[in-house]
Amino acid sequence: MTDPRLEWLDDPVTRRQVLRGALSGAVVLGAGGMLGACGDDDDGGGGGGGGTPAQSEGQLRSGGQLRVGATGGGAKDTIDAHRPTVDTDIMRCWNLYESLAVRTPDFSELQMLLAESIEPEAKPDTWTVRLKQGVTFHNGKPVTADDVIFSLKRILDPKDPKVGAASIGYITQNQLRKMDDRTVRIKLEFANSGFPDDLGQYFNAIVPTDYNVENPVGTGPFMYKSFTAGQQSEFTKYPDYHEDGKPYVDSLTIIDFPSDEARTNALLGGQVDVIDNLPAAQVQNAEANPNLRVLSSETGAWQPFTMRIDQAPFDDNRVRQAFRLIVDREQMVQQVLSGHGSVANDLYARYDPMYAGDLPQRQQDLDQAKSLLKQAGREGLSVELVTAPVFQGIVQAAQVFAEQAKGAGVNVRVRRVDSGTFYGDNYLSWTFAQDFWASRVYLSQVAQGDLPDSPFNETHWPPDEKFINLIQQARAEVDEAKRREILHECQTMQYEQGGYIIPYFSNIIDAYSAKLGGFVEAKCGFPFGNYWLKNVGFLA
Amino acid sequence: MTRLIVRRLLLGLLTLWLISLVVFAAMLALPGDAATAILGREATPERVAALRDQLNLEDSVVSQYLQWIGGVITGSFGESAATQQPVSELLSERVGNSLFLVFVASIVAIPLSIVIGVWLAMKRDKPVDHVGSTVSLILAALPEFVIGLGLVLLFATSVFQWFPAVSLLAPGERAWEAPEYVVLPAATLVLAVTPYISRIMRGSMVEVLESEYVTMARLKGLPERTVIWRHAVPNAIVPAIQVAALQLAWMAGGVVLVEYVFSYPGIGQLLVEAVANRDMLVVQAVVMLAAAVYVLMNLVADLATILVTPKLRTAAR
Repeated sequence: MTDPRLEWLDDPVTRRQVLRGALSGAVVLGAGGMLGACGDDDDGGGGGGGGTPAQSEGQLRSGGQLRVGATGGGAKDTIDAHRPTVDTDIMRCWNLYESLAVRTPDFSELQMLLAESIEPEAKPDTWTVRLKQGVTFHNGKPVTADDVIFSLKRILDPKDPKVGAASIGYITQNQLRKMDDRTVRIKLEFANSGFPDDLGQYFNAIVPTDYNVENPVGTGPFMYKSFTAGQQSEFTKYPDYHEDGKPYVDSLTIIDFPSDEARTNALLGGQVDVIDNLPAAQVQNAEANPNLRVLSSETGAWQPFTMRIDQAPFDDNRVRQAFRLIVDREQMVQQVLSGHGSVANDLYARYDPMYAGDLPQRQQDLDQAKSLLKQAGREGLSVELVTAPVFQGIVQAAQVFAEQAKGAGVNVRVRRVDSGTFYGDNYLSWTFAQDFWASRVYLSQVAQGDLPDSPFNETHWPPDEKFINLIQQARAEVDEAKRREILHECQTMQYEQGGYIIPYFSNIIDAYSAKLGGFVEAKCGFPFGNYWLKNVGFLA
Repeated sequence: MTRLIVRRLLLGLLTLWLISLVVFAAMLALPGDAATAILGREATPERVAALRDQLNLEDSVVSQYLQWIGGVITGSFGESAATQQPVSELLSERVGNSLFLVFVASIVAIPLSIVIGVWLAMKRDKPVDHVGSTVSLILAALPEFVIGLGLVLLFATSVFQWFPAVSLLAPGERAWEAPEYVVLPAATLVLAVTPYISRIMRGSMVEVLESEYVTMARLKGLPERTVIWRHAVPNAIVPAIQVAALQLAWMAGGVVLVEYVFSYPGIGQLLVEAVANRDMLVVQAVVMLAAAVYVLMNLVADLATILVTPKLRTAAR
């Protein structure tokens, strides 16, 4: 089980590097087009940080069968609306089910989906959800208040909490009230003006009261046809979908690809029409292929290093600051993402309108880092960084960080474990590790990872009550200008003392056949813009 | 002979039992359990507790093992933690695919490598022999997934588009119903094992060709064809059988890497995934199966050796 030969299996990028070594860089593996491509290896040069939308022009026609290669998947795949964990699950969920609201792919607004409105009362601790008229489930049954209450209770079930329980756990369950067939009143345990965003997560989808996972029914653009864990799932167009004219294609097949090479090869060989997460190092080759299009979108997805602020050596803020100064962010974007990403500033939620973009961009400063470490009595510090191939690039980021840390005299020992170990008994309590997050608005993100009762608080932030009080104020504050002020203070605290090192926001890279169109940029951090295959069709 | 077979089979069972203990212990030694592995990033304490409860992971180690071995004796491999499907059902689909792949690879590889070995021995020290040796050394040195990716580049994506790059069997579809998906994975295995068998074959053939009875046969005026295939090859083949059996046994495990490259739905993929999922019962079943193949192949090789070696054949009676 610990055969080192097997280790590359769960890490596509390492494997690619092994291969590159094995073939002396002469053959650009698995990637499109060329054999012996002029010895110019594919690292480093990648098409800059910007998303260069390969937007197809022309009209989309109705019809056709769409085959999608999805990242990962395996025996633990699920089609349950409320248990999506891996990429393939999430893709199925987006296309089969829908939530009350959703952040648009460009992340600029919260679009109402099944809800007509989600409105607070005077104080944002009580909300009224009003459903759209005429939206039906795949079995023809209209969506009603009962379904909403059933779905929320199913998610929150204390005996079997689903993925979304962590995001809307502050709903007071016994006070969910049906006002009429299309109206639900929701009472919260505390005031939260960010509630609609928490509600509008893909894993908080609405399913009918007689929901059955064996024959799942939702309101999404595609209807269930078949599902085989670890292999593929098939869907057909829902003709009564509530957005006119969509989806374009008649059928959708989502195929699991545990290996990045196999997924890319399947696209090149025409066995699938579109794949998500094209490895950054293969972008150039795919772009050179006339039959393919590549869409690299800037996103708000971030993959931090997580330092536990309550454990030595990171309980000393000078050490944390020193570590943040060690990072050469530009170099990391180039080396880890082949340029397909943008530099970050140790703050998340870059697309939140209240993002503190005015704080100065942190640059590598090894002298300052050394001096901070010296002040903290931590010269020549040696730490262990736990990493696992749970997201593209993070193992490489760990290696690059270890290399950069040498410049400040810090010895970072990278300990690479498999995902089972990473999420095992030490999950959320590693002293120094890594993680990955999608785009979120600021307050949702704080609820997920930066409060004492957050489900995924990996840095054990905050250091004192002040931050908690500020967040509570901001949640209850309905005046935008005041909220902005409070949230700026919160972000300044995180910028000056936080336990996250956020070196970059990574791009999402979709690759698809030139016969297809309708792809949009995905700032939301999900492929195809919210995995919305309803927008995708064959060119007329 | 029967006694020998029975004895070997019993020893094989003992080996399998020991392996089951080792695998069980190894899985327990891995950090995390099925619940944390299945939930992955979403492993909040509440959800882990709920799932552990569902999966009966709170039972003691000894009772888990006894439950498993009891099940095996009564012919049940239990249920997969990740899919809640019976392990036997999960396996039966995949085992057929993997066996078919190994079968196709071996019926091509074994005759092919014997012919190559004989031919190179006859062309000993000529240019073609040197080229053959070099190529086989290179192939032997390359990891099989590199060979696989090379074949994909050549025959599926970049140069020719003759075969599918990825073996996308539809659910429920068996490999023999879609042979086009087997070509490249099988070719990869063939290229991976042929060098070993053909080099051994060449070596022992060279030896035999220098022997006195081959000279005698030639002096007697027998046609060269008869000398080679009637007299030389049967005597040179024993070491090749041993190596071929080892290679076949290796394929039972080596198929993991090849299946991964081609996304071929066989036991290899299942195993990799089951380990990641800490899906104990599936890991046990797959490893047991691979080990059983290994034990059996060794037995078959020994029997075949006995059958083609007159001295041993008579001694074994």
